[in-house]
Amino acid sequence: MVSIWQGSYREIVWGAFMSDAVDWDKSVSDVNNGVLAATGKPHPTFYVALGLSLVCLVIGIVAWALQITYGTGMAGLNSPVYWGVYITDFVFWVGIGHAGTLISAILFLFRAKWRNSINRSAEAMTVFAVITAGLFPLIHVGRVWLAAYWMVPLPNTNNLWVNFRSPLMWDVFAISTYLTVSLTFWYMGLVPDLASMRDRTRGYKRLIYGFLSFGWTGTLRQWHHYEAGYGFLAALATPLVLSVHSIVSWDFAMSVQPGWHTTIFPPYFVAGAILSGCAMVYTLVLPFRKMFNLEGFIRHEHLEALIKLTLLTSTIVAYAYGIEFFIAWYSGNPYEWIIFQKRAYGPYAFYFWVMTFCNCVFPLAFWSKKVRNNTTACFIICVLVNVGMWFERYNIIISSLVEDFIPGSWGHYEPSLTEIAITIGSFGWFFTWLLIFCRFFPFVSMSELKLIMPKPMRPKDKSLAA
Amino acid sequence: MAREKVPGIVAIFSYLDDICKTVETIDKRRDFDGHEVYSHTSYHELIHLAEDKYGSSEVKWFTLVGALTGVCSGFAMCLWMDYDWPIVVGGKTAGIYSLPAYVVFGFELMILLGALATILGMFVMGRFPNPKDTVLDPRLSDDKFAVYLPGVSPDSEQAKLLKDLGAEEVYSTTGR
Repeated sequence: MVSIWQGSYREIVWGAFMSDAVDWDKSVSDVNNGVLAATGKPHPTFYVALGLSLVCLVIGIVAWALQITYGTGMAGLNSPVYWGVYITDFVFWVGIGHAGTLISAILFLFRAKWRNSINRSAEAMTVFAVITAGLFPLIHVGRVWLAAYWMVPLPNTNNLWVNFRSPLMWDVFAISTYLTVSLTFWYMGLVPDLASMRDRTRGYKRLIYGFLSFGWTGTLRQWHHYEAGYGFLAALATPLVLSVHSIVSWDFAMSVQPGWHTTIFPPYFVAGAILSGCAMVYTLVLPFRKMFNLEGFIRHEHLEALIKLTLLTSTIVAYAYGIEFFIAWYSGNPYEWIIFQKRAYGPYAFYFWVMTFCNCVFPLAFWSKKVRNNTTACFIICVLVNVGMWFERYNIIISSLVEDFIPGSWGHYEPSLTEIAITIGSFGWFFTWLLIFCRFFPFVSMSELKLIMPKPMRPKDKSLAA
Repeated sequence: MAREKVPGIVAIFSYLDDICKTVETIDKRRDFDGHEVYSHTSYHELIHLAEDKYGSSEVKWFTLVGALTGVCSGFAMCLWMDYDWPIVVGGKTAGIYSLPAYVVFGFELMILLGALATILGMFVMGRFPNPKDTVLDPRLSDDKFAVYLPGVSPDSEQAKLLKDLGAEEVYSTTGR
């Protein structure tokens, strides 16, 4: 009997960083033609996807407008659950944003070649996901027009400053730094490609792309300093990506709430974020490469490496789930232990088991090479991982808040229609921006893709060279 | 003062080994002073040659200064605001005793200003944006390499040498 379990853990870890050698059927000369031809004329499904995204976005805008008009009571947040779906969405979208920086910065430092075909899409996903995440604290506080006074160190009418010892304040700085650095890292990567687009267009388009590319000409001097700077940006972004979700986890871990007050949270959150981010990159790249006819450049070897990375992080997350339970039991703290028992068997058990199966059990199928090379199966599992990661955040937030130390204040929480509509709207907002980006800018980093393709060397046979 | 365009020649190359050999050769010759090399991407072979030519990139100093400014300003901001109006929460005294909590701000601003300074360094040292610069040949952002040499014609000795080194095409240009 042939075992379906192919590949050791070592092979999976190695494969997550180093993809198999690619037998390219395209050359460097095909890159600009192939990538840019698709940018101008997407597949009709692009317009269907854009239409659906806009519908979702409108649903979210209407729900938010109603919440602003009638008050935050519409959100269904009440004692004891003051953090609900909005904070779940915030953590979920910040987490989605993590894979982009992992792929673009950490894998760049590891010199993992496969990242060159998908880093642009992952970075775009990061930027739009973090922008989406940034909306949720504003939606959550209700009076959004006053948020600047609560979130940034501006003196208010009493000349008070913000509380720098609050993890929420740490979060403001972490997320805004992450957004700025991700945005600049992504944009600097785009500059040589924008110059390629400028050189292929005429009229006003040439003017726009020329302006956006900062007059990049590709001299050796420019590449020399560009490469050095890109390396420093990657080196700065690497500790940043690890710090951001650690700081998000401190929003919870710094409290004394049972189920939250644990030292495992920072690595657990970072691993979860990378898992959800990798799954989301796969979920996006698979249809987008079809939509923009990029199958020749985003190869199955690259997708398989991404799946190996997803499997690797899934095993870390599964380990964290287990250790979290073990610590709750081993600590001898009855409040902590009962929360964990109730997570598994209490009124919110459904969310817990969805989370466990989607994040730990279904990805086990990725041990099989057959599954890893079956794009439909991988797509379905990656969507399930995304569902599982949303449920993970919901499970952590809600199950700890509904029942704390005082039984008299225990309550129950279900998301309201407004919260559900705004969550749908956040997906619409995210996908609308991403689709607009792909329509006008290259979805694959052309200048970096050329680096992993066979180098244009003079053929040994002189007749071929001529 | 606006830079004046100097007419010269452009030699187009298709192969990486040819352009590398050309760069090594012409860098040593005085009759190629003022030349510029173009590439569609950052092949490591070319970047190594650029390091020999220009030395280690100065962008690192921009990064260092930005990062140090960031870490100092992060701690300074928290301490100054804390002493300006101490907010005592949960019995925790303000100011220097709360320094561990301010590590986050020092760290985040270190990354933020370090990254922004790095980008400034990439612009300043790479000498762009430069509205006066023109695109010599649109193929240079596609799949070709080139050498631009000002002040010579396609019949010159330099043009002949470039052809011998593998240039597929040498033509005159009004300048960059």
